[in-house]
Amino acid sequence: MNTKQEPQRFVIPIGPQHPALKEPGNFQFTVDGEIVTKAFVRLGYAHRGIEKAAEERTWIQDLYLIERVCGICSHIHALAYCLAVEQLAHVEAPPRAQAIRVLVAELERIHSHFLWMGVSGHEAGFDTFFMYSWRDRERVMNILEKLTGNRVNYSANVLGGVKFDLDKEQIASIRSGIDFLEERTRHYLDVVATDFMFLQRTRGIGVMSRAQAEIMGAVGPTARASNVARDVRKDAPYAAYKEYPVDIILDERGDLEARFEVRLKELFESFYLIRKILDTLPGGELTARMPRKVPAGEAVMRVEAPRGELLYFIRSNGSDKPERLKIRTPTICNLTSVVKLAIGHQLADVPMILAGIDPCFSCNDRSVQIRTSSDPDGRMLSWDELRQHGIDFYKRLEK
Amino acid sequence: MNWFFVLLSLMVFPGGLFLLAGGMAYEWVDRKMLAVFQNRAGPRWFQPLADTVKLLIKEEIIPDKVNAILFIGLPIAALAGGLTAALYVPVAGLTPVYSFPGDLIVTLYLLSLLTLCMGLAGANTLDRFSLIGATRTLTQVFSYEAPFLLAMLGPALVAGSWQISDINAYAGGHWLILTQPVGFIVAVIGFMGKLVMPPFDAPEAHTEIGAGALTEYSGRGLAFFHLAKAVELIVGLSLVSAFYLGGLATPLEFLVKTLALLFVLIGLQSLLTRMRIDQTVGMWWRYGTLVVLAQWLVIILVMRP
Repeated sequence: MNTKQEPQRFVIPIGPQHPALKEPGNFQFTVDGEIVTKAFVRLGYAHRGIEKAAEERTWIQDLYLIERVCGICSHIHALAYCLAVEQLAHVEAPPRAQAIRVLVAELERIHSHFLWMGVSGHEAGFDTFFMYSWRDRERVMNILEKLTGNRVNYSANVLGGVKFDLDKEQIASIRSGIDFLEERTRHYLDVVATDFMFLQRTRGIGVMSRAQAEIMGAVGPTARASNVARDVRKDAPYAAYKEYPVDIILDERGDLEARFEVRLKELFESFYLIRKILDTLPGGELTARMPRKVPAGEAVMRVEAPRGELLYFIRSNGSDKPERLKIRTPTICNLTSVVKLAIGHQLADVPMILAGIDPCFSCNDRSVQIRTSSDPDGRMLSWDELRQHGIDFYKRLEK
Repeated sequence: MNWFFVLLSLMVFPGGLFLLAGGMAYEWVDRKMLAVFQNRAGPRWFQPLADTVKLLIKEEIIPDKVNAILFIGLPIAALAGGLTAALYVPVAGLTPVYSFPGDLIVTLYLLSLLTLCMGLAGANTLDRFSLIGATRTLTQVFSYEAPFLLAMLGPALVAGSWQISDINAYAGGHWLILTQPVGFIVAVIGFMGKLVMPPFDAPEAHTEIGAGALTEYSGRGLAFFHLAKAVELIVGLSLVSAFYLGGLATPLEFLVKTLALLFVLIGLQSLLTRMRIDQTVGMWWRYGTLVVLAQWLVIILVMRP
């Protein structure tokens, strides 16, 4: 007789609708009291079929679609796409355009890191931090709006260059904005490094060793906080990063405190880079001529998004539309670390650990898992199966 | 005292309606000032009242498989506890309506009723967020309640009476915050824990467990719990300022002292990061209780004839 009784599972669901997550994702944490013993993640709530839709549009139309993959890092997606298509078409954007691309990318990084800082503060229950950092974030949003006309989807890129130039007044407003933000960043760095109550929630929480980070394929600031020197801007410089190199910020500790410090110190690199670009902005054209049809071939482009390495794969068959477009966003690389690191921690630390990788779900969802009450474990569908499922579903509805 | 005045004192002033209105006014000050400190606009002055009215006219949904009597009764008990406690406390700087030797202990237990009811209400439902919230609420009760009680008994010890009006009168001539600073700090922080204010809001941490123990509550029950909290805010503030801030003899003194104390609480709320429940328990039993006991020892040694 089996006397060993299976302990009852107490599962805390976080998402798809939950105050901790502003985007839909489902995490299930099995807890023993307050301690997490098992973690499970389910994605796919925000799958929008962008990759497929891109195949139906021309190269230029895709630019607008790609900008909308992510609401926070819209520029870096368009940049990766443009660089990949330019690579296929053997076109190189002029130096001034490349410099402006980097400038906007770094401004976007500042905006993204400030946003993340606020969200993490909120997860920790430190709402004052949240409100103040988002107030300061408005400054960089205003700069972006002044430059490009938009706060979110800047639409700075065109194939072969950029859409806008900088004038003296804009340069002056960027400079004063950067000065302000640098001062604020110094203050926030001071807060996250010295505030006793805040350190109680970050120091030694969610520690990821260097070996773990390498095995789980962590990218971006999450990896760099675990002392993995991985930064595409340095490893494979794109756009104007060859002329404007950055330093990699590393930290050995690998806990949440390190992730805070790495991201905040990265901001100083961005400020430095932006000032340098404004000082030495090369002259010349803004765009290069781009053919309507892109020669057949394949291209892979890696760029460093605020959250880490972003990969674009594009295959062209020589027509005016891409044959295949594949996007891999940094969140999908980092998510495994959440599921792994949450185990053994308190439930209260889980939102912090989750926020620590700066997750972004809508850009990362790639497939749909069908679950029904009769089949609670669900099954993955291939493309053909999903198509057939859809046809059957609507046939049933018609009857 | 004839029946009319008894009813009036229970239902309108200083109990009943006056307490509800005062509680909501203080809740508004709390919310508004916190918003100002956090660079937000904050609610308009009638927002707590509007919230209450809205909740009261909403349908109350009783979930499946809960004990309906407990589900409906617990919010009422919580509100009743807060309102009853106010009868023994010099709210608005007036003499307490009722008073008897030892009413301090009764008042402190009545004030705990709210937290207990919230814990039980959470444990009564089957919702997973509620259950975790209830566990945390009850854990928090056991961590702050003892030190808070000890801190409130410090003034009783020196006043030589366990009757609130006596202690209030004694404190009128002695600012006990100067002679018992440790007790004051513990009382203030314990009071914040009692009201589940940040940084002690782990039992209802939105980013982890939704609304905690009260997740399943809507409509009337939720309104009663909110009102109970507002009433407890004003009663607790009166009690702490009567004991430690030189007594409450007039309505003006009441306003100045309780609002000053409330500003201290708001400042702490906006400055501090939420503590995990294990950190809360650790703080109270490793430091809070010990320092209060040490202060007791000092008081007893000094007072020995």
